[in-house]
Amino acid sequence: MIYIHQIASVSPQKELVVASLDEVNESAHNVLKVVEPKYEGIPLSILRRMGKAVRMGVGTALPLINQLEFPLNGIVIGTANGGMEDCIKFLNQVIEFEEGTLTPTNFVQSTPNAIASQLSLLSANKGYNITHVNRGLAFENALLDVWMLLKENSTHTYLLGGVEEISSYNYNIDYLADWFKKEETSNKKMYDSQTEGTLSGEGSAMFIVNAVPTNALAQIDALQLMHTEDVTEIEKQLNYFLKQHVADGESIDLLLSGENGDIRPRHFFEAVECILSGATVARFKHLTGDFATASALALTIACQLIQSNVLPDHMIKMDRKKKNLKKVLIYNQHKGVQHSFILVSKP
Amino acid sequence: MANEELKHTLKEQIIKYLNLLEKTPADIKDDQVLFGEELGLDSIDSVELIVLLEREYGIKIKDPKEGRKVLVDVNTMADYILANRTR
Repeated sequence: MIYIHQIASVSPQKELVVASLDEVNESAHNVLKVVEPKYEGIPLSILRRMGKAVRMGVGTALPLINQLEFPLNGIVIGTANGGMEDCIKFLNQVIEFEEGTLTPTNFVQSTPNAIASQLSLLSANKGYNITHVNRGLAFENALLDVWMLLKENSTHTYLLGGVEEISSYNYNIDYLADWFKKEETSNKKMYDSQTEGTLSGEGSAMFIVNAVPTNALAQIDALQLMHTEDVTEIEKQLNYFLKQHVADGESIDLLLSGENGDIRPRHFFEAVECILSGATVARFKHLTGDFATASALALTIACQLIQSNVLPDHMIKMDRKKKNLKKVLIYNQHKGVQHSFILVSKP
Repeated sequence: MANEELKHTLKEQIIKYLNLLEKTPADIKDDQVLFGEELGLDSIDSVELIVLLEREYGIKIKDPKEGRKVLVDVNTMADYILANRTR
């Protein structure tokens, strides 16, 4: 069991969970870009060198680390691409300047582990420091890593995070591979779309986690990672997952679905909804857009919903009139191949 | 006048290469020490400035001692560029 004690995030919305659809920031050209805050606590001389992913990740996590009253035993980040924009800048320079003298900043910022390492340097943390880059399951693998660490050391506390930026390079590659919509589609109407492709998003979510239930905001009961294109395999895995982790007499109150407006993976979501026929179904990707570590923002949303017990109408797909949002199952998939279940509940 | 134009261009290039987003050329004085407290530059910035000289003016600084004399302020950089530029 993992307990979440503190959360911070940056997303395409000023507040991640807003009450009405009118307050939701609208996408432009099928892209939802983050609303970046004024980052506190990062020296200007360091901030000016940071690419967007590093800035978002460090800017989200550093205030959490700085306000901790107990030592942090490690930093575990999930990001599929890290600072891809700077990486491409660096590689282009290699060609443009014929392998001559290259600027160091883009190189330093261009590796995915720049986020975790900058956090380590800025907070003088010499503990466990790792970055998971398993594409659409990068955040889930970071979560699994923390899970195993806490099993070994139940007194430890970790920073767990998921970060992704939209880079023009990545957007174009995924656009050409038909992962993003060709026609202009608003995030406010994305679930009505009957075409292939989704909307691109980005964001950062950070969590202070440990194995101590006292004063926790939420607890993670179970996690399942899957690689399959077969919907019957997802059904089989979900039934087994529920049998293992939801006790007799208990039920899932809310399915937080990663439905993304793409018709191709829709059957996965429908199959999961069918099995969880008693649960209210809510969607979140009109708030975040779709990206490899969107489940990190989904976890933030799940924690906020559990805390507030209020589910905004614009998120609801099917309302089962649940009085309490105590048990939330996040189901997300990436490119029809990588899938995950994260079971979150009220401590 | 050519020197003044060069200094202005150089200041714009310093801002661009070092990503000094909050600065304008007017904020950087000709004789302001680059690696002092005001601009807050550090050793990584010195490498960026060496790259700037090579890319924009075709000047290669290989001797660190020479670099220390050149990268003092905008005046010393502009003088060195006028004397050594290849483009």
